Formats: sequence, structure tokens, C-alpha cells
Amino acid sequence: MKKTTVSWTVLLGVCFVMAMSFPAWGAKTIKIGVIGPMNFVQGKGHWNGAVMAMEKINARGGIQVGNKKMKIKLVKADSNEFLNVMDATNAMELILTRDKVDFIVGGFRSEAVLAMQDIAMDYKKIFIGCGAAHPKLCLRVAGDYKRYKYFFRGTPFNSRYLVKTCFIQMATVGAILKKVLNIPKVKVAIVAEKAMWVDPMIKAAQGFIPKMGMEVVGTWRPSAVATDVTAELSAVQRTGAHMIFTTFSSSVGIPFARQAGELEVPAVQVGINVEAQKDGFWKATQGMGNYVMTLNTYCRDVEANVLTKPFVETYIKRFGEVPTYTADTYAAIVYNLAPAIEQAGTLDADKLIPIMETREYLSPGGTVGYLKDAEGRHLHDLKWGPGYLTSLGVQWQDGKLKGVWPNRWKASKDAPAITYKGIVPYKIPPWVIKKYKK
Amino acid sequence: MGILGFYLRKLFNIVKREMLVLPSRIVVGLFFLVLLLLPVVTQDPYVLRILVLTSIFAILAASWDLLSGFTGQMNFGHALFFGVGAYTAALLNLHAHIPPWGSIPLGGLGAVLAGLIIGIPCLRLRGTYLALTTLAFPIILMGIVFAFSNITGGELGVSGLSRLSGSRLSDYYITVVVMLGLCTIMWKITDSNTGIIFHAIREDEVAVRAAGINTTRYKLLAFCLSGFFAGISGGLYAHFMRIAGPSTLEVSMSFTVVIWAIFGGIVTIYGPVGAVFILFPLLEFFRFWPEYRMLMFAVIVLLTLLYMPDGLFPWLRDKVETECPRCKIRNVATRKTCRVCTAPLD
Repeated sequence: MKKTTVSWTVLLGVCFVMAMSFPAWGAKTIKIGVIGPMNFVQGKGHWNGAVMAMEKINARGGIQVGNKKMKIKLVKADSNEFLNVMDATNAMELILTRDKVDFIVGGFRSEAVLAMQDIAMDYKKIFIGCGAAHPKLCLRVAGDYKRYKYFFRGTPFNSRYLVKTCFIQMATVGAILKKVLNIPKVKVAIVAEKAMWVDPMIKAAQGFIPKMGMEVVGTWRPSAVATDVTAELSAVQRTGAHMIFTTFSSSVGIPFARQAGELEVPAVQVGINVEAQKDGFWKATQGMGNYVMTLNTYCRDVEANVLTKPFVETYIKRFGEVPTYTADTYAAIVYNLAPAIEQAGTLDADKLIPIMETREYLSPGGTVGYLKDAEGRHLHDLKWGPGYLTSLGVQWQDGKLKGVWPNRWKASKDAPAITYKGIVPYKIPPWVIKKYKK
Repeated sequence: MGILGFYLRKLFNIVKREMLVLPSRIVVGLFFLVLLLLPVVTQDPYVLRILVLTSIFAILAASWDLLSGFTGQMNFGHALFFGVGAYTAALLNLHAHIPPWGSIPLGGLGAVLAGLIIGIPCLRLRGTYLALTTLAFPIILMGIVFAFSNITGGELGVSGLSRLSGSRLSDYYITVVVMLGLCTIMWKITDSNTGIIFHAIREDEVAVRAAGINTTRYKLLAFCLSGFFAGISGGLYAHFMRIAGPSTLEVSMSFTVVIWAIFGGIVTIYGPVGAVFILFPLLEFFRFWPEYRMLMFAVIVLLTLLYMPDGLFPWLRDKVETECPRCKIRNVATRKTCRVCTAPLD
């Protein structure tokens, strides 16, 4: 009797396990690894974007692969790459060998992405980089196509274009100052945080600003975590600078904007101020960060195309903030991977690559296309410029972050003028007008 | 056949009379065996990757112990040796096309040179002052790396290096065998006359000098030896990761080595090695709870050091072995009398 009970129990257990695992027999999912510094805002952007993509694709039944629909499953991997590059490579190997992901999106720190890139290439898995801007990542594709062809840049466009966009925005504001305030030669003060990544930008700015018909009056390098920058601001004020070219990725962006507002330093701020890209900037500067302008990817009410608004609004609704550029994992999955898989009818990376490298498609940030180098070799690097990705220039205007660039921007004399929907005119701070208006 | 039989008998006698008499020696023997036979059980690339990196850092941690533990030259900038080894190996491999078996030892020699360069100005310093000065050197080198970015690759580092070998399995055997070999050499050094002088310098440098020993020479030797082993680990790291970047010189790297060594128990060589083999895979294991990964790691290290201030392995060893009060030979804790001099063990 006891023996019979045990047998029945075992049989029932086996049936239960089989029933539970039955759905997995037929419906294989597409596994996408999302790798990034998950305890930092950049990694959170990676993950949030990917979650939105998964929800959108799975809601419509999945991706059509040949004659079956496959849903997406995300695998989160914390690369911890800001603190430890090795951790990033271990995480990459873990998701490739244990979780057996089919594709990977993410990565941020260039040194870590280079190391992760090698691992993804070893396993011949498509890796869409969504954070690192260094050109070398894509030069590797052209240099050794057979090995590195599995890497694509998803966001942002490479750092050379990033600098170029900053200079164009500076020139645009310079032209406005000249026109409105009748300033014959705009004086520019370069203020950049003490960080390695800024050094080449400063060198480029010092060389390029005079070529734009403006004058460099000095360079200041406050600490990236400085809480008081009045000394630098007083020095800038004494030089009679009309414009401050800022390069801040750290917390110094807040005290700098706040104290410049408090002192009413008669110079406009243009460049990169990562803190000013965040919703909390206005509160953090107690409203003194008014009129600060920075480079950005997304902004409320600004539409690069028809896909921008739905993406930004859904993101804000879902996560309570405007997406950062690393949230473009969404575009990488929804507009790059998914259509390519559907077109190829397979998950085979080698069959997807020819489709991915030649497709041009609309994404919330703009039209995505991939570059070739001068010799015609595939780079898998993003196209920049009118008709493609350009990014935005945004300015704080009375408590709201507004898009101010591109506004009737012409990339060349004959090129058509570009203005994104929702772009408003750039505003010069009243104390600057008061000081210089004749 | 006769010669083979002789050596087999000799090996058997050594194992029986020297190794099996003490639990710590049995554990070391098992450690060697497990590492060498592990691929028979699993060849999972992720597991092998973690063990390759663990082996590389075990060399680094042991080399810190050789300098700071044994000789007392507190080095808070050990990443310098690691970084110099990594960059030297990487640049030689990339530009001079020297294969890993040549570039890695040359990386070690590069680190010896770095050991001499920092050893000479540091000879006059002791304790906190020495620690703070050594801390500055990797930071200075990082500045140089960024200043000469056309050679060093700047923030990206030097990438595209030759692989250590053709497969993960051979990478594993290379690093494990090198680690076991180098750690044994380090242990033998500390057990030699030179090692005794290193000990003595740490305990009372003036007394050593009064005994007519040139302590300057020995301290420099410690810097160079430690630099060489750390440089080898840097070279192995560069070829395994196929990149040598500024992260190899980061302050966190220097402090991680110190944490490993203190956790395992300094002045032991085996302590830091064992600590790396526990802590490095443990940090990977904690990936299941990424938000609290570092916190859990810190709590374990803190609790261990709170209850085992001399480190984990000396604490464990003292639990299973006792030292004879007369002849200082170690015995199993269960013995009543010393296995050599038969003195009673209390």
C-alpha cells in the first residue's frame, strides 16, 4: 500500500513537471541581453528602453521569424563598467554562455565596450552598442570585417560628430548674439571639468573657435565635483566673455549654473552640461539655471519625426522622466533588430548583417543609416547630419526645458533648412541683453 | 624502470611523511589537484574565464604579500606594477609583434624597472609616508598614459592584442600552471635566507643593519621581485583580456589587492592566494542580486576581519594545527605530543 502511494506521488510529480515545462517546448523566445552599468543612470536608461521595446513587441504577439511568432525575453546584465572593466567582460561572457542570449544591446565606457566587443565577436553574436561614442569601435569593423562585423553602433553618433554638433550650436548662438546685441566679435570662455574625456574637446575648441570668427578669452578647469565656482565665474566675468562654452558631465554643472545665475554673469552658456539634461535641474539650481543651453537627445514636445513623440511620452508615462540617449536600446530592438529578423526570417547573425548594414530606417531620434569609410568598407557607424541623426540643442526657459536647435539650420549653403517640430527660438538672458544692448 | 621506481617511491615517501602529516599541506595538495583536474569535470567557458582571472589576480595578491607582508614595505600603489606589466606586454605585442610567451616575461621585466624607479626614492620612507608615496605612482603613470595617448591609446588603452593561446582550456592551463609555479617560487623565496632577511627588515630594520646586512639592497630586491611577479600577472591579464587600459592602473585595483591579502592573511603567501580564490568567484556569484552585490561583498570581508583579524587562513590553520612550543614544528591539533621532538603539546 505504502509502495503504491509513493509510486503515484512520483508519477504525479513527473506529470506536474512535464505540464509546467510544456509551453517551453514549442514557443522559443528571442533572448536579448541588456548590458550596462545598472546602478547608474546610463544603465537604467539601457534597461528602461529595452523593457519598453519588449513590451511593445510582445504586445503585438512577438517577432515574425519565418512562419512562427517569437516573443522577446530580456536578460539583464550589470556590467559595473565604471568601477571595474573586468566585471563588464565577465557579465558579457555570462549572458553569452549561461543565458545563451541571441543578441546584445548596451555598453557605455569605451574601454569596457572594446573588451566586451571582443567577447561578443568570439561568439559571433550581434552586439549593438548603445552608449560608447568612440570612433575606434567602428573602425575595428572596417579594419577586420570578418571578425567585427557583428558590432553595430546604436547610439550615440561617434564623438567627432558630437564635438561638431557642439560647435555648430555655439556658432548658432554666436550669430544670434552678434545680430541681437551688435557684438562685433564674440568672446568665448571655455569652462570644462577636470576630466580626461574633456581634454581633446578643449584642444579642438581652442583651435576651432577662432575659425568661427570668435575669440577665446581663456580656459578654466574646475573640479568635476566642485561645489563652489565663484572664483572661476569672477575670472570669466573679468575677461568680458559673452559666451561660456561648458563641458560638464558631473555634478559641477549644477553649482556652475546656479552661481552664474545668482551673480548674473553677463555671458550665455552653451555646450554640454549633463546635469542640465535632467528634469531635476531646475529644482537643483533653484531656478537659477534659467537660459542654460546644452546638447541633448530627447526633449518634451520636440519631434525629430513622427516616432519621437509617442516614444518620449510613453517613456515619461512609464518611468517618470525624459529618456536619456542610452534608452535608445528601444530603437535598437524595435526598429533595427526586429524588422531585420522579420525580413531575414531567421536569427542567424550572418544572414541578418547584410540586411542591417544596408537598411535605412526611422527611429525616434532620427533616420538611422550606416556609414562606409573612404575605401567603401562597412563601418557600422551611424550617419550624422541633415536627414539623419543630429541630436538637439535644449535650453531651460522659465522652468521648462525647450528645444532650440536645429532651428532653420543649414548644414551647407545649398542644403535645405532644418527645423524640428516643437523647436522654439533661443532666448538670451535679460541680464546679458541689459549689459550689451546699445 | 628502476630509476622511475626510485623516484615514485621517493614521491610516495614525501607525500606520506611530509604532506599527509598536516591538514594545511593536504589542503594545498588538494588545491593543486582540483585546479589541474577541474577541466575533466567542466569546460564551461564562463567558469574557466573566472578561474583564469582568479589565477592572474592570485599572483598579484601574493606578490603584494611578498613586498608589503614579508618585507613590511607598505605598498598602496601595487597597480603600478600590474599596469606597467600589462602596458609593456601590450605595446611589445602590438608594435614589435612579440608573441605572448615573450611579451609577458618582458612585461615582468618592465615592472622590475618600475620597482627600481619607485624603490629608490621610497627607501628613505617608512609606514604611512611610504604607503602614501607609493599610492601616487600609479596615478602619475595614468597621467602619462593620457598625456601620450598616441602611444598608450589614452582612455581606450592598447587593444587588439594576440590571444594568450588558441582556446579557453589552454588559457586556463597556462594561467593556472604559471600561478601555481610562481606562487610556489614566492613561497620558497620567503622560506629562504633572503626571506628571513625580509622578515627581519619588517620586524627591526636597525637591528638587521647592525648585523651588517645591507638592508637597502634587500628592500630594492623586494620591490623588484614583487614587481616582476605583479608584472607577469599584468601581462597575462593584458593578453587574456586582449586589452591593456587605464583601468589596470586605477586606485581601486591597488586597494582590491590589499583587501584580498588582508582577508586571506598577510605574511603567508598562501593566504592572499586563497583569498582571491574565495572572494573573486564570490563576487561573481553575487550577481544574482546585483543591487546589493558590493554591499554583501563588503559585509563578508568586514565580518571576517572582525572575527579573524589575522586573516581567514591563519585563523583556520590555528584551529586545526598547533605549534610545538619547543621545536616550533607544526602538528595536527589532535596530537598530544610533537611529531618531531615528542614534547607535550598544550
